[in-house]
Amino acid sequence: MKAYLPFIVAGLASGSVYAIAAMGLVVTYKTSGVFNFAHGAVGMAATFVFYSLRAHGGLPTWLAAGIAVLLVGPAIGVVIDRLLLRRLEGAPSSTYVVVSLGLLIATQSLFLVLYGPAPRRVEPFLPQSTFRLPGVNVGWDQVILVVIAAASGVGLALFFRTRFGTLTRAVVDDRPLAELSRVNAGGVTTASWVIGCAFAALSGILLSPLLGLDAVRLTLLVLYSFGAAAVGRLVSLPLTYAGALAIGVAAQLATKFVVGHQSLAGLPSSLPFIVLFAVLVFSPKGKFAELTRTDQRSGRTGAVAAGRFPARLIVALALLAAVLPGRLSSGRLLTATAVAAFVLVFSSLGLLVGMSRQVSLCHVVFVALGATTLARLLDAGVPYLAALLLAGLIMVPVGALVAIPAIRLSGLFLALATFGFGVLAQNLLYPTKAGFGGQAILTIRRPAIFGLSLRGDKAFFVFVVVLVLAGVVAVEVVRVTRLGRVLRGLADSPTAMQSLGVNPLVPRVLVFCFTGFLAAVAGGLLGTLTLSVNAQTFDFFQSLVWVAALVTAGPLSLGGAVLAAVLLVWVPAVFDSARVVQWQPFAFGLAAIFLSQARNGLVGLLRRPDFAALAARHQWRRGSVRLAERLEAQRLSARPAAREVTDGAA
Amino acid sequence: MARLEVRGLRAGYGRTEVLRGVDLAVPEGATVVLLGPNGAGKTTLLRALAGLVPATAGDIVLGGEVLGRLPAHRRARRGVCLIPEGRGIFRRLTVRENLMVQADAGGLRAAVEQAAALFPILGQRLDQPAGTLSGGQQQMLALARAFLTGAPVILADELSMGLAPVVVDDIFAALGALRREGRSLLLVEQYVERAVAVADYVYILGKGRIVFAGEPAECTSGAVFARYLEGAA
Repeated sequence: MKAYLPFIVAGLASGSVYAIAAMGLVVTYKTSGVFNFAHGAVGMAATFVFYSLRAHGGLPTWLAAGIAVLLVGPAIGVVIDRLLLRRLEGAPSSTYVVVSLGLLIATQSLFLVLYGPAPRRVEPFLPQSTFRLPGVNVGWDQVILVVIAAASGVGLALFFRTRFGTLTRAVVDDRPLAELSRVNAGGVTTASWVIGCAFAALSGILLSPLLGLDAVRLTLLVLYSFGAAAVGRLVSLPLTYAGALAIGVAAQLATKFVVGHQSLAGLPSSLPFIVLFAVLVFSPKGKFAELTRTDQRSGRTGAVAAGRFPARLIVALALLAAVLPGRLSSGRLLTATAVAAFVLVFSSLGLLVGMSRQVSLCHVVFVALGATTLARLLDAGVPYLAALLLAGLIMVPVGALVAIPAIRLSGLFLALATFGFGVLAQNLLYPTKAGFGGQAILTIRRPAIFGLSLRGDKAFFVFVVVLVLAGVVAVEVVRVTRLGRVLRGLADSPTAMQSLGVNPLVPRVLVFCFTGFLAAVAGGLLGTLTLSVNAQTFDFFQSLVWVAALVTAGPLSLGGAVLAAVLLVWVPAVFDSARVVQWQPFAFGLAAIFLSQARNGLVGLLRRPDFAALAARHQWRRGSVRLAERLEAQRLSARPAAREVTDGAA
Repeated sequence: MARLEVRGLRAGYGRTEVLRGVDLAVPEGATVVLLGPNGAGKTTLLRALAGLVPATAGDIVLGGEVLGRLPAHRRARRGVCLIPEGRGIFRRLTVRENLMVQADAGGLRAAVEQAAALFPILGQRLDQPAGTLSGGQQQMLALARAFLTGAPVILADELSMGLAPVVVDDIFAALGALRREGRSLLLVEQYVERAVAVADYVYILGKGRIVFAGEPAECTSGAVFARYLEGAA
């Protein structure tokens, strides 16, 4: 027992910091109904301000911390609430997920660009001395962390017992009714964001001496609080606090146990995400009820109209692919091959994010494991085409595994579960034999098929294009046939679909399996293209960037998938500048925030500018409402009979 | 002078216009009943008056003050109290917490006493989640708001919907009490005869426009009213 005491003490201290972050997250969620994926990014941003004020501005620590926690954090909260979220009111929860993800990506990449990736040391500001309890040395800094967290928890608990606490719950319960009851609902929501972001800032600052000033790690460590928040079902402060302490202690104890087990090295840091995934997947159905209120009346359920089979676009892409090998330099041809493979990645992701309105944040796992499985199978002597097919098929059960939360959970909670799964896969699956194993890099040789060598870039390009086109045609066929209609119907109203005799389980599992298959094949092709794969290329954060890129480009159509692939792969290759590469995630994050409400991203705007709908949704500006009316009047006068888009789903 | 006056009000949801120029007045201390077939825009009118649906044109004048684009909570503070369709309560809050939201800061004790005096059953269920009350009790809790806030203008949307007849009697008795306090009432009701019996003035809304306005006596004999009762207005 004695040997464990130091770990328990350290765990209580780190758990306390997570508790502060997690309670901030829960406060915001339970009082505004919006889960802030960017919680860690807010804490990180405030910590950078703290650092700058202290190290460069010469302010005393208490003043710098005070400014960061009491002014910067809250200011960020006000901006998020007033500028980003106010205009979303009544939108489906997947829209909120996309916006806060966009914010996470944009903020993190902004600070990476501004401050560079190298971590900076933060001078410790808590006392470093220790005292002796029976059996263990305890640092005063650890005591202070525990006290701050406990005091914050008690303070919040008391705060929610006041009249203001009741008002916040009233606003969450029924916002219009709260307004009818003279409550300034907007003000209450803003206050909840102010509190939540102040807590994020506090946790970031307290973590900074332990971690150094590092945009990526600070963001991620606050993400550890997701697991604790899940323990509290995102609404209970006491459970969240207890969960954070338990996770902190368990993670510290795990570091002791995994010493000497190379393959388990990722376990301690994965614990919060194991908890997150397990709580979401195994808790009884209905425990996680969404607080976001979708406004059915204004038709903002995110229902998706049926598209047509894009035969012309597919033919055009095939023709383009036919002329490209003769026109492009060999370097550019490699880029074009990567674009083609990414079209398949995005096309399969679009089935989930676009058509089914299920934000899946672990797409990179399928791609990565597809590539590694292909490498392993080739090493085992399996012929290339069979290996590629097998790599895809092996991902089918993984897709089914991810589909479990998709069956049980909606919108936000599916996004959280897949997020947790993505991190877990990177920490625990990548290092195993099925993944990258101990090796940093796996090599894949380009094959010869039916006696034709694909070593040459041109031949390989043609090979990839043929497979990608086959995959894309399959996706488009799904889109316009029964499975697609059922999935669109489920996105709109699961109850209605069940009343038509549709079992929601089957189509949801099918679409995840299909998506997993295609993504794994695309991953195999990408690995074959670059001749090697490493774990860095397939960082879980890529999943988030892909979702942002797809939402930016247009998640509902093949055109969007093509545009997303071009934006992600072709643009940085052509401009060949570090700047473009650095700013790219920032641009995707920002664009996803502002295009989350557009019908089909950039492609939708380019194809049929629906400014009227866009302006009508941005009702916070009076002018735009009038503009919307004018445009609408023009539209109606131009077209005598507006045709209703009907989709006989069943 | 009218307590609440509406001139040329237009409003709707997104692309569909529901109200197409509504004129209406609620005199001081009067009970005005608004009738009309389903889809005529009755609920939308009340929601637009309360500020839940933005008006695209027209004026809403409350006691001489133009409300313009005032948000819902500001209108409520100026004395417009809408009891919405369905159950106007916070289901996940207890009865006491519901009253706390309605009462002024620091006025919880007085509010609880007042509510318990009006509806004794509420006084016995203070710590029960409001969503677990019976339909009639929920509607009483919703009505308690009108009493507690002292709002001079009460807009009530189908208070009697889905309630047992005996409970409907209680609801109408409560409305009578509000009226005796000198409040101005605008009622949307489906119990046409009962509503008309308490009305000082009757409006009939059809397809987003006022198609009839007059005294209860003239409307029960009038041709428009007959047509409305046949469902054709």
